[in-house]
Amino acid sequence: MAPVSFNNIAKTFGSTEVIRGISFDIRDGEFMVLVGPSGCGKSTLLRMLAGLEEITAGTIAIDGRVVNQVDSKDRDIAMVFQSYALYPHMSVRDNMGFSLRLRRADRSEIDARVMRAARILNLEPYLDRYPRELSGGQRQRVAMGRAIVRDPKVFLFDEPLSNLDAKLRVQMRSEIKALHQRLKTTTVYVTHDQIEAMTMADRIVVMHDGAIEQIGTPLELYDRPDNLFVAQFIGSPAMNVVRGTLRRTGSAAHVETADGVRWPAGSGGGVDGQAVAYGVRPDHLELGGGGERTVPGEIVVVEPTGSETELVVRIGDAQMTVETHGRTTLQPGDKVGFAIDPANVHLFDQASGARLVS
Amino acid sequence: MKRLLTEAKLVLIGIPVAIWTLLPIYHMFLFSISTKEEAFSGELWPAHPTLRNFGVVFREQNYFLNHFWRQFANSLLIAVAVGAITLVVAAGAAFSISRLRTRGGRLVLNCALFTYFIPAAFLAVPMYKAMGTYGLLNTQWALILAMVTIASPYAIWVLKQASDKLPWELDEAARIDGASPLQLFRLVYLPLIAPSLVAVGTYALLLAWNEYLYAFLLLSNDKDITLPVALGHFLSADDSPWELLMTTGLIYALPPAAIYYAFKRYMVAGLTAGAVKS
Repeated sequence: MAPVSFNNIAKTFGSTEVIRGISFDIRDGEFMVLVGPSGCGKSTLLRMLAGLEEITAGTIAIDGRVVNQVDSKDRDIAMVFQSYALYPHMSVRDNMGFSLRLRRADRSEIDARVMRAARILNLEPYLDRYPRELSGGQRQRVAMGRAIVRDPKVFLFDEPLSNLDAKLRVQMRSEIKALHQRLKTTTVYVTHDQIEAMTMADRIVVMHDGAIEQIGTPLELYDRPDNLFVAQFIGSPAMNVVRGTLRRTGSAAHVETADGVRWPAGSGGGVDGQAVAYGVRPDHLELGGGGERTVPGEIVVVEPTGSETELVVRIGDAQMTVETHGRTTLQPGDKVGFAIDPANVHLFDQASGARLVS
Repeated sequence: MKRLLTEAKLVLIGIPVAIWTLLPIYHMFLFSISTKEEAFSGELWPAHPTLRNFGVVFREQNYFLNHFWRQFANSLLIAVAVGAITLVVAAGAAFSISRLRTRGGRLVLNCALFTYFIPAAFLAVPMYKAMGTYGLLNTQWALILAMVTIASPYAIWVLKQASDKLPWELDEAARIDGASPLQLFRLVYLPLIAPSLVAVGTYALLLAWNEYLYAFLLLSNDKDITLPVALGHFLSADDSPWELLMTTGLIYALPPAAIYYAFKRYMVAGLTAGAVKS
């Protein structure tokens, strides 16, 4: 267990800058998720922490010790790879015990620690099998077992669930989270899947283009995205966004789009006449209602998922996703109004994408 | 119908090829079970087949065969040494070029492969000179080192191609697990390229086993030479005992055949490993 801190980290490959001066701290025992679209530099950052990638500038410290010049093996970290990277010629037992064997640990100590990890991960029946004889989920567990056996200061996960099918992914997700709650080891977890990030993280670092867009708890990011990128990246289905002009008259405000729709806005920031991006989450468009805070819409597609129904609706020229709880008798073509509570509206400056605050 | 036609074509090509390949071997076999008088009779099967020739060879009962067992052992020793040393050289080189990404590694590999543009026969004289300089002439080390030199570039290339296919994450996982490069080599790399090692080792071994030119040039003492060179001596007489020459040749061909069948599985997998860049 140990805190990790990144201080002004930069990375260039040739003349390409992939990480542009990133600084943040991970607390002792925290589950930190790095999330972002592919190519945002999250994996590179993790690999620098692992010592698999040179650090161009800045420092990385694990437990207060700067590790820039420290070899991977001496950083006291363990990593779980997307491809699992199990040694194909070794049994599960030997895979898990490999790091201890390299450290010349006692045979009995290796056995004990492998057994302990196997018990945690329900791998006991498979200890003498080879990786090729295991299913994807079991291989993933062995990869985690190999990390646990080390009892490292920090766990690193590089998109560990990407190779699994959807059902198994959900299951492994909760297993990893349960594991973290049990071991309380500082964990850095890289994923491109924002749902994984939301469900697993204590805090999330949203990255884009080699820079940090926002750091916060899952709900902070969801409720108060700092900018348009985070707003659209976090949340599923994604936030609806239209572009228009902010009209402010006294305490009331609305955003007017080119198609003539008046979108209700609250007392948030921004000045009259400012070009803004207006964002509202799919579950904040309320079916029915009328009056000032309502926008008129037409149903395009109805997608029932059982407990919820997703509607694709046209409001003015914009196509929006609406999430309603329960079921509906609505048909494509039906005209309905959607009420929007101004408190749930997110306004961003159109040019900079930054959140407008009062 | 179409499949039948394809099949027929294959058979039509296959039969002549098979005959073409097997006929000389059959001829050799025929000699070995014939008496000296019958050997040149031109019959497809001798009137009185005999195994007497094998007895003569095994008991070294001919002037040309005085050192048969000694020379057979020389061949074996040299072939095994060449196979083993080539493996050490090639595995080390392939590992450092492919996995450690040693600077300039590719250049070295390409230079080594370039030597194949020059026929080995042309290199024989410079090699002879070099061995003379090192004072190795007429020692078996000369032949061993020469054959390792000739076998290595191809061996490195095949192993490098096989190494390139190993997932990179394995090295990274091992590094994080705490493996030094040497431990990585021994505990992860070698076990994983074992099939290619078998193929390459066999290749080098057979190359040395069958070598005539370099063996002839670099060794001269009757007790040091390999069997192929000794067989060459048969032809220096006016009335060579052809039936004994062929018998010895047949015996000499058996170990490679046995090795090939034992390792066939690896040979095919290993030698084609470098065939396509995937």
